[in-house]
Order: sequence, then C-alpha cells, then structure tokens
Amino acid sequence: MAASNPSREAILARIREGLRAPAPPIEDKTFYGPIFEAVEDPLERFQQECKANLMECHLTSDASASAQALAAVLQSLPPGEVFVQDDPVLRRLIAGSGSQRQIRWSSEGGPLEKSQATVTLADALIAQTGSIFVSASGGGRGASVVAPTHIVYAFAKQLVPDLVTALRNATADGRMDKNSYACVISGSSRTADIEKILVQGAHGPMRLVVIVENNR
Amino acid sequence: MSPTVPTTHPTPAGETPSALTAAQKFLRDAATKSADLVHREIIRKNMDSYEAAHNRGRARIKDWEAARRKCQEIKREAINNLDKYLLQFEQKVLEHGGHVFWAANGDEACAYIKDMAVSRGVKTVVKSKSMVTEEMHLAPVLEAAGMRVWETDLGEFIVQLRNEAPYHIVTPAMHLDRNQIRDLFREKLGENIPDADPQKLVALARRKLREAFFAAEMGISGANFLVADVGAVAISTNEGNGRLSTSLPRIHVAVTGIEKVIPRLEDLGTLWPVLATSGTGQPITTYSTLVSGPKRADEADGPVEFHVVLLDNGRSNLLANADEREVLHCIRCGACLNICPVYRNIGGHTYNTTYPGPIGSVLTPHLRGSEFQHLSYASSLCGACTSVCPVNINLHHHLLHNRRDFTKAGGAKTSGERRQFKLWRTAMLHPRLYELGGWMMRRSLRLIYGMGLSGTALDPMRAWSRKRTPVPLPVQSFRARWRKELSKNEQGRTAGGSK
Repeated sequence: MAASNPSREAILARIREGLRAPAPPIEDKTFYGPIFEAVEDPLERFQQECKANLMECHLTSDASASAQALAAVLQSLPPGEVFVQDDPVLRRLIAGSGSQRQIRWSSEGGPLEKSQATVTLADALIAQTGSIFVSASGGGRGASVVAPTHIVYAFAKQLVPDLVTALRNATADGRMDKNSYACVISGSSRTADIEKILVQGAHGPMRLVVIVENNR
Repeated sequence: MSPTVPTTHPTPAGETPSALTAAQKFLRDAATKSADLVHREIIRKNMDSYEAAHNRGRARIKDWEAARRKCQEIKREAINNLDKYLLQFEQKVLEHGGHVFWAANGDEACAYIKDMAVSRGVKTVVKSKSMVTEEMHLAPVLEAAGMRVWETDLGEFIVQLRNEAPYHIVTPAMHLDRNQIRDLFREKLGENIPDADPQKLVALARRKLREAFFAAEMGISGANFLVADVGAVAISTNEGNGRLSTSLPRIHVAVTGIEKVIPRLEDLGTLWPVLATSGTGQPITTYSTLVSGPKRADEADGPVEFHVVLLDNGRSNLLANADEREVLHCIRCGACLNICPVYRNIGGHTYNTTYPGPIGSVLTPHLRGSEFQHLSYASSLCGACTSVCPVNINLHHHLLHNRRDFTKAGGAKTSGERRQFKLWRTAMLHPRLYELGGWMMRRSLRLIYGMGLSGTALDPMRAWSRKRTPVPLPVQSFRARWRKELSKNEQGRTAGGSK
C-alpha cells in the first residue's frame, strides 16, 4: 500500500515523534466501582428495555407459537413481498406460519426497496439495552434496515446480560473476521432533528418486532 | 431524481469573503445573534429538552463518574499508543480486503476520494453525517467533479438545502423550527405540508432520500470509533441513514480523523452508552454499527469496495503538545456545546468553524492556525464544559493554555494591559495613591453620569455601560466603609466563632 500512500510514513513518523514526551499523569486517584447496575433477570430486563425502545416483543413457548406470532405480524402488514434470511430455522418458521406471501430469500440477493418486511435471526439479545445483535451472515446488511418492518426470530438462550459480554463474545468468536458487518439494534429507526421531537421511521424500519422463544 | 436538488454547497466555514478578520467577524456576529430573540427562544427550547433527556440518561447509569473515568482511560491508552493501534487497525482492514489511505491534510483526502470516484464512474454519492468531511470540505470537491452529493442525515439534509454549515455537531438544524423547515421543503422539494407536522416532514425527506440511496454508487460515512483489535469502523446513528449509506452503494468510504482509534471491541460496551447519554440522553443510539470490510463472498449484499481515509490535518501537532494531547480524546458528543453559556447565546454559526463551542475553541487554533486564536477568549472560563465532558477533558484549562501560548508567541497585543497592571501594582503598593485614585474615579464618574454621558466615549466604564444601565456609584469608598462598620462585623463573627 505504500506506493499509493505517500503520506503514510510521514504521518506515522510525526505521531512517534510527538509521543516522545509522555502525557501528564491522571491526578484523580479515586477508586471507582461498577459503572452499570447489574442485570438481575435478563429476560425481564430485556422486555422492559424493548418497551422503552418502542419495540414489540412477543414471548412464545415453542416453535408453533412463534410461527403463529409471525403469522399475526405478517397479517397486519400491507400486501407485498417479504424478505427472509435463507436459513433452515426460518424456512420452517415461514412454513409453519401458513403465510401465502411472496418470499424473497437472502440467497437470491439483498432485499428490494418494495419489501414490506424482513425476517431474520439474531446473533444475540442484550438485556441491558434491549438490543438485538445482528451480523451480515444473518441475511446481509440490508436485511435489518431496508423494509418498513423488521421481524427478528430469537431464543431466550441467546440473551446476554450486558453490552460488554455481547462484545466480548463477538471478539472471542471472530465475528468481525467472519462478517463484514454487524449491528447492535436498539429500537426502530428514529430522528429528533426537528425541534427535538421524536419521530419514528426516519430512514429505516418504523416497526421492530422481536419474537423470543423461551423453551427450556 | 428530483430536479430541485441542491447543486451548490455551503460556503466552507471560515472562507466567507470579507474584509473583516475572523476575530472582528466573530464579535460582530456574536453581538447580532445574542440580540436575536427568535433565535434565543429556539435554542432555549432545544437546550431545555436536551438537558432533561441528558439528566434522565445520566440517572440510568449507576456511577457516571466511573463511566467518565473509564472512557478517559480507554482514549488515553489509544492516543498515547496511537501508532501501534492505527497499524493494528490498518492490518486488520487490509486482511478483510479493504483499503486504508493516510491523508496529511484535507486536500490529499479529497483528491483520493474524488479520483477514486471518477475512475469508478460514480454519479451519485450519499453521505451520512461526518464532521471530518465538513472539516475538509469534501462535498464541494465532489460536486465540482460533476457528482451529485446527498446529505442523508435529516439535519444535514436540511442545512444542505439551505446552503448552510451545520449549526451543531450532533443536531445540525437545531436553529430552525418546523415552520422554517416546511417553507424550505416547499421551496426546494416542491411539496407543501401545511401543518408542518414533524412526522410528515420526516416522511417527505425519507421518500426523497430513498431514491438517492438506491441510485448511489458511493456511500460516504464518518466514524465514531476505529476498533483496532477487530479492524472495524464503528458508526452510531439513530435514523438508519448511516446503515443505508454503508449497505446499498457498491463503494463505501469511511472518512475520519486519526484520533478516533480505540484498542478493543469491548471498550464500546462503555463508550457507546456514554456517547449516547452525552449526545442525546439515550441509553444507546438505535444503530450501533460495525463495518470491517467489503462484502464477503457468502454475504447477500453490501459494497464490494471498502476504503478508510485517515486524516491528520494538524492532529499530530496537538499530539506533540503533551499538555494538550488529551484534547484528542474528544468523542464529539456535543455536551460541552449544549451547556456552554457562550454557545447558548451566540449560537453555532457565529464561531464560523467546523467544530463550534468549547471543544471547537480549543481545537480550531491548533487545526487552522492563530487566525482563530480569538476563540480561546470566547469563554467565561466557568468550567461548565469540563464538568460535562464524558472523557474528562479539562476544556477550560486548555482554553487558558491556548491563551498563554498565544501570548508567549507574541500573538496578543499586551502592551496596554501590561501598562495597566503596572499602574495597578504601584497603586496596590501605595495605599494613599490607591485611595486618591478611587476618590478621583468616583468624582469624575458622578460628573460624567450627571451630564448624561454614560456609555459615551468619555465614560471610562464604557465597556459595561454602552448597553447597560450604569452601576450605581457608592457614596463612600470601601476603605471608609470598612473602617466604620464592616470591620466590626468581622470582629464580632471571629469572636463568636472562637467560643
């Protein structure tokens, strides 16, 4: 890369030269405890945070209940194509829902602009912030942002208590080596750029639905 | 695509043709803005709702001071090992099939992006919010090369339509109310929303920008953090425009400053919530995105090319200044702008810089030179900025540092002040002289005020009384009052306290 990067060495040299003088030490010697409140009951906390994030969270007990929950959400949408991550688990879920909608599978490419909804799995659920951790292997990048509704099918065993745990796990399993993209999603798309008034559905989904199956 | 898209771009900050120096223009604009009652009302409302959300957000974190300290330590480690972490980041991105370009200044960065876009036949560019691209004036360069550039963050889109620079680093259109935005959309987008309902205004912008997202060949984003250990660019957004800009076009360029690197992915477990809390009061932004390269072979979609542009542009100068190095810890949350009494009164545009408010006043003289040194004086040194900074930057102290260095380098005219301090010193060492001076001052001021000349060129207190009612003059001197009454009080209290 050096040939196309004429300033690279010069910048690095300036940085190294600049760092010769050490920064003054931090004077504050206070001992600090934990930053965040510990998450006692991850599932309960997750549901609370989902509500605060204006997400819809459906707790189900088995696969057929999940398929019914999906069917109900799909029925509430205007007619049109639905984009689904091509995964055997989701193929079974769609079949179980009995939906007659046209499906575009992620193996056929990214979602089209006219998609009414996208359906994906998640890598993890984060209780602390009510978030869904997705990555590109879950149907690609557009799968969680292009359509007006994003439906996530997840399992209670995927819950982690907090962000730090979720990120440590992602580092440990080499997620950013296996995926070009990952996202911690905490609610539907929104903006407050006009008079700080909250408006849902700025550029991404207006609805974020998560179906959490809790079969122990 | 609509024929009414903007074809010109905001005049780059600080380059307005004018006979005034930057400092003179600053004083003129500050006087105008602080007297603008409509502006004051809009900013007050915005800042009130920010403050309420920010306080709620802070209350959700168990120990806010611990969070600030942790973020300070993360950034401190990164900045003091900057070469190591940048190289680690670069190596990872290259392994993932991306490109990394190091730019010494804005021109180099703009040329790299423009040449690449031209060679790939790019016609339409979608941009998500990036203050660094504002700093290097990227959009006008791409427009001059015949490309159509769309700002896709709603606030940025609004100020782009107005040919203005962003008013605030987090909420660029904070200075406008819904009716002004309705009028702007009617004029520039050709659609009228009579009741100016924010929901409908957002829906209109969404519709217009969707066309751009699906047409664009290149998406340009900024970066909130560069994560060294996994080689990923972290982008925090709420609207989803950042995600669309980095998902749909076939080329993604992330442009950012060299100081944005952090050591580890798990550091974001603290930085993300703290950035969101300080920026908008949210527990975390809606989309906390990580991009580590171009689309992999087995992925459904995504750009086939991924470039990271690392901009120095004066940052390494600041790094070499060990006392002020921590200014590079800034995560651009905007909290110091929101709390600053100066920013709240003069507004973001008066600074005429890419980064306004306290952090901008500290940073700009380093990035743009002594022409902007007057900003180091645009502070009452109240320290409110320092008290809210989520990475504990001692902002008001650095404003003083800037002043000291500026004066040492002979930049400030100090001969008058030196004379005055000498005079004052002499008076302080000679009580009789001091008393005489006070007596003469009280006499002459009474005479001047009596003649109705307060605030005129003859009034030594003109700086104060030019626009204010003069301060009532004391009948007797402090020394006289002290002798008669105050010293007795003091003795009484001391006696009482010692019992």
